[in-house]
Amino acid sequence: MRQHSLIMYGGKKLLTFILSVFILSVTVFYVARLAPGDPLVSYYGDRVEKMSPEERFLAEEKLGLHDPIHVQYVRWLSNAARGELGVSFKYKMDAAEVVAGRAGNTLLLGGVGFALLFVLSLLLGTLCAWREDSLMDRVICRVGTAASCIPEFWLSLVLILVFSVALRWLPSSGAYSIGREGGAADRIVHLILPMTVVVGSHLWYYAYMVRNRILEETRADYVLLARSKGLTRSAVLFRHCLRGVMPSYLSLMAVSVPHVLGGTYIVETVFSYPGLGTLSYESARYKDYDLLMLLCILSGALVILCSIIAQVINEKIDPRLRSGGEAESREVTEL
Amino acid sequence: MAEVLKVENLSVSFYTPGGEVQAVRNVSFSLERGEVLAIVGESGCGKSVLCRSIMGLLPRTARVKSGSITAGDLEITGCRERELCRLRGKLFSMVFQDPMTALDPTMTIGEQIAEAVRVHRRELTGTALRQRVAELMALVGIDRPEERMGLYPHSFSGGMRQRSVLAIALAGDPAILFADEPTTALDVTIQAQILDLLRDIQQKLGTATVFVTHDLGVVARAADRVAVMYAGKIVETGAVEEIFYDPRHPYTWGLLRSLPALSRGREELYTIPGMPPTLLNPPRGDAFACRNPYALAIDYEEEPPMFRITDTHFAATWLLDERAPRIDPPVGGGDCG
Repeated sequence: MRQHSLIMYGGKKLLTFILSVFILSVTVFYVARLAPGDPLVSYYGDRVEKMSPEERFLAEEKLGLHDPIHVQYVRWLSNAARGELGVSFKYKMDAAEVVAGRAGNTLLLGGVGFALLFVLSLLLGTLCAWREDSLMDRVICRVGTAASCIPEFWLSLVLILVFSVALRWLPSSGAYSIGREGGAADRIVHLILPMTVVVGSHLWYYAYMVRNRILEETRADYVLLARSKGLTRSAVLFRHCLRGVMPSYLSLMAVSVPHVLGGTYIVETVFSYPGLGTLSYESARYKDYDLLMLLCILSGALVILCSIIAQVINEKIDPRLRSGGEAESREVTEL
Repeated sequence: MAEVLKVENLSVSFYTPGGEVQAVRNVSFSLERGEVLAIVGESGCGKSVLCRSIMGLLPRTARVKSGSITAGDLEITGCRERELCRLRGKLFSMVFQDPMTALDPTMTIGEQIAEAVRVHRRELTGTALRQRVAELMALVGIDRPEERMGLYPHSFSGGMRQRSVLAIALAGDPAILFADEPTTALDVTIQAQILDLLRDIQQKLGTATVFVTHDLGVVARAADRVAVMYAGKIVETGAVEEIFYDPRHPYTWGLLRSLPALSRGREELYTIPGMPPTLLNPPRGDAFACRNPYALAIDYEEEPPMFRITDTHFAATWLLDERAPRIDPPVGGGDCG
């Protein structure tokens, strides 16, 4: 009986996921093809300008661009269903291969950035809540609020200006120095500036949420009881309040994945970091249709997956919402 | 009998943007071993603040302005937070008004009680700890404790939660228990059970109890001694019989007259006219004067001192001055009880 309902639950979430990705793919497919631009540029490069109208027509015919969009879509979908995700016009390679070559870089920047963001904002928020209304808290709140309004691209440019151009401490672009592809130290040096922007531009937003949620929690009645049994302020904060905050923080972080991902893409573009962000930007700009589709669907699927995870966390982690535990589900009303 | 707690001239104020709110004004009382003292008064008269200031659990905006709190030889007002932490749970602990919110919803009842046990007895672990938790749960009347330890607060009813809160409060074997309106948020039938339980435990363990309430019916059932509070001050204090059979302060008369049991057969309940004064700028003279049908001219000028009636019975009203006119109290004497 319970297993049955679990399958139903999972099935429902899976259906939501598939439907969302499908709608996303249709939307991206249409928008990409209806937007102005010349897909031939990415395939033939500068040669396009010298092509005669007949040659252009033949080239477009060859790439299957003359069919109505829905026909093109069905063709793409049936290919995709067989695992053929198309060819990148620009790289003349399988789109999947192009993405696979770059995904590692983005995972490194985004993944480590996300983990850092997760830990640092929890620490900063807890610190501010712990010292509520102190000078430190007030200064951090003001500075943080102002800082979180700085757009990522601007922050990137300022950092490049200061640390790469003026001080010459750190490289301004790329993921590694040319000819030293393997060195770990070299990679880290290249990661410092983009990582700072990825973490820095989102840090306060989440830290502030943590701070306020903890403060809300410390005003709860149970804190008074916990204190009256002799627990110290820090014991109450760490054992009770943070515990109460964690479910909403986890779901918040799951929802934040798209934010961080979007931020990573912008940062990659500014720093010419060879990841999926730069790739997406190029493919959208030069109408590299198949590559764009793949990238959008990958990013989109990740975002949708994270929202579903957030939803599941919200439903499951709070014991009041949890159903079907062994003893818990039984209501005890007798006195 | 030995004194376990002595409060002298305690004043507590809240510092708000609107000014200083004098929540507790010059309160003195003492509590003896094994005694139940009821503090009675309307909402907002400073009862809860009084308890919380003794426990050192005032909100950040409030401060003890003057006065002293001593437990045995220990001066509590001078204690640092670290020492207060050591005292809480052991010297005194507290039961709160609303059991629905007083427990951490994300932790099992067993864990929360165990936590209270371990604060003062670090060495208890494993089965010994479980045993102690089960013992406490049994003490407060929770059946089948072993089974229910693993439950979360949401699967407990209000009465069961209040019992759990009481178990937590008793975990450190405190000398003094503050019960801040422990039955207000409960059903009437459960109120009586919790009151009896408090009384039982108090007699079994000999815990001195400060019982905060606005319900005189509860007082009659549970208390040995009563302190009536009005606008942050204690206006009358005495043994429970003295307060019920021989009340002297007009405010106590008002409280007694508004008991539903005493309005039986009448069209409507008696209510004390007017509203309690704001404690932001307490009025000059007796704070109760403007609601007092027996007010004298001097009530508006000067605060009455505590007049002694018997060795245990005191009241702060000018009516007890020898120059005051004789007044037949509207309640008390034979028609009460």
